[in-house]
Amino acid sequence: MNDKILPTTVVGSYPKPRWLNHLIREHSDSSLSDEVMESAYSDSIKAVVKDHELAGVDILWDGEMRREEMTSYFAEHINGFSIYGEVRVWGNNYYRKPSIVDELSYRDELTVSEYRNLRGLTEHDIKVPITGPYTIVDWSFNEHYRTKEDAVYALAEVINQELKALVAAGASFIQIDDPAIPTHVDELEIARNSVEIATKGVKAYTGLHICYGDYSKLYPQVLDFSVDQLDFELANKSFQDISIFREHDFTKDIGFGCVDVHTRRIESVDEIKGNIKKAFEIVEPKRVYVDPDCGLKLLSSQVSFQKLSNMCAAARELRGEL
Amino acid sequence: MEYTLSTVGSYPRPEWFSDYLKKQEGLQKGSRVGIDDSYMRALAEVLGEQKKSGIRLLTDGQLLWQNMLCHLCDSLDGFRLSGLIRYFDNNMYYQMPEAVGRVERGNPIILDEYRAACSVEKNIKPVLSCYSLVDLSQNRFYGDEKEFLMDVAEVMNQEAKALAGAGASIIQVDEPSLLFADKEGVEAAGEALEVLTKGVNASFILATYFRDAKGLYPEILDYPIDVLGLDFVEGLKENLKLIKEHPTEKIIQAGVVDGRTTLMEKPSEVKEVIDSITELVSGEKLFLSPNTGLEYLPYVKASEKMGVLSASVD
Repeated sequence: MNDKILPTTVVGSYPKPRWLNHLIREHSDSSLSDEVMESAYSDSIKAVVKDHELAGVDILWDGEMRREEMTSYFAEHINGFSIYGEVRVWGNNYYRKPSIVDELSYRDELTVSEYRNLRGLTEHDIKVPITGPYTIVDWSFNEHYRTKEDAVYALAEVINQELKALVAAGASFIQIDDPAIPTHVDELEIARNSVEIATKGVKAYTGLHICYGDYSKLYPQVLDFSVDQLDFELANKSFQDISIFREHDFTKDIGFGCVDVHTRRIESVDEIKGNIKKAFEIVEPKRVYVDPDCGLKLLSSQVSFQKLSNMCAAARELRGEL
Repeated sequence: MEYTLSTVGSYPRPEWFSDYLKKQEGLQKGSRVGIDDSYMRALAEVLGEQKKSGIRLLTDGQLLWQNMLCHLCDSLDGFRLSGLIRYFDNNMYYQMPEAVGRVERGNPIILDEYRAACSVEKNIKPVLSCYSLVDLSQNRFYGDEKEFLMDVAEVMNQEAKALAGAGASIIQVDEPSLLFADKEGVEAAGEALEVLTKGVNASFILATYFRDAKGLYPEILDYPIDVLGLDFVEGLKENLKLIKEHPTEKIIQAGVVDGRTTLMEKPSEVKEVIDSITELVSGEKLFLSPNTGLEYLPYVKASEKMGVLSASVD
């Protein structure tokens, strides 16, 4: 979709400014009004956009300042979900785990207003990430549908409406985030069908982001998913997965995670150039999108900015050399 | 018939208590919050919820456990914790314990928590683990896995003796990993249980969950345990078949409501399951419980789930 070779992008999240975290706490203690909170979100997105532009990112997102996690954020805007409370994921980390209590249907826009807002803030291309139906169902309780499969397909229809609404609003690049897919490789067929339903009739460039897990259990079957691009985490596993992707002709564009989000170490421009070149062992350069392994939200703003800057500089230098 | 109702182990933390722990420890659980006033208040709450729902054999809800493994390793010498690993097919993760030295019991493991619970309520069932702890850990010290397993069994035996000394008449050993073990593992687990239970003046429950116990039969009948915990949610048909084909004098702790979904079973459905078990096991030989710990549920749903259990035997 991008004219430029080796376009740089982000997977989605970016660290929230410290002041925003302060305000979110105050807001949750009811000592801050909704209006002030709203304007804080809005201002923080401007700061993120500026950071991304300064770093040299070609295809932007808003850093997901409003999202704390990726399940209930969407579920609470969809008919049929109810949230009873938090459930632990590990240590002292919890999320509000939704329950499907009734037939799922489309109610509110999920990401359209975020897209519109960002459209007004930058001239750059935009990528809209949204959690996939398979992952949302996998991370929810199912009280209503006979099977998980039925629930996934019903939600895929809802997501499909949202993707069409996004396209109508002008979005041209949509990324489905499906980190739950590698955790149940025996349900790959259900996941594949869910992506097909979600993307049906959606006239945009689409990507599928899959992190964690053993890619050898997904590949080459994942090439059958109805998206234009597959986005993978590669740096965190020292690019060992390249050999898996070389076993079959990689027939899609690749979102090539070339910067590790699980370490504070800032990779040098030369190192990242070397990393990006590894993508050329899988596909031609024109099919490579350059991005970090995953969202950056767990790093500090400074480290995230530096990683993005070096990543963009590496892509720029490589463009000159190719 | 009045059955003994029990919980399996974990209970969701009251939300105010998880907020408190987040503030004290940070998200990654740093310094360990021990038994303080807040803990005692949370403990009294979850014990009260269990009692209110008609549970007779109570657990402390494992409220200080960061997961099913690391809390046990924390107090032991020889372990360190590394990266996050998924806990079976749950959307729940643990820091993988690594054995980097000889495993020894420098300090009591859960004894203080057991005593704290006893100061609030009677009939507390403390929970340990042995085979699963070894199975889900990485061995970076021992020459062979068996030696590792036997050392863990030895420290758990020391702990079990201390618990029995403090008044525990029944101790549960959680072994979900056993359901995924090969024959060699099943045999080794039997030997480990011999070590774990030796000289302990208490009854033992072996709790299994997440699937049926097909791979454990018939060896499980010779294990030195008094109560077999079986999951009749995930493994209903197969477990019914197993207890039919292998009659035993041991008590069965039957997990009959699903501890991992907010969907509330109809008491009549649960009663049907209980009836199919009582055709094979007499009522005095039956404990009833959810199939797993309840921490997979939001707090408000845990008591509702226990309510379904007690309504199904009314």
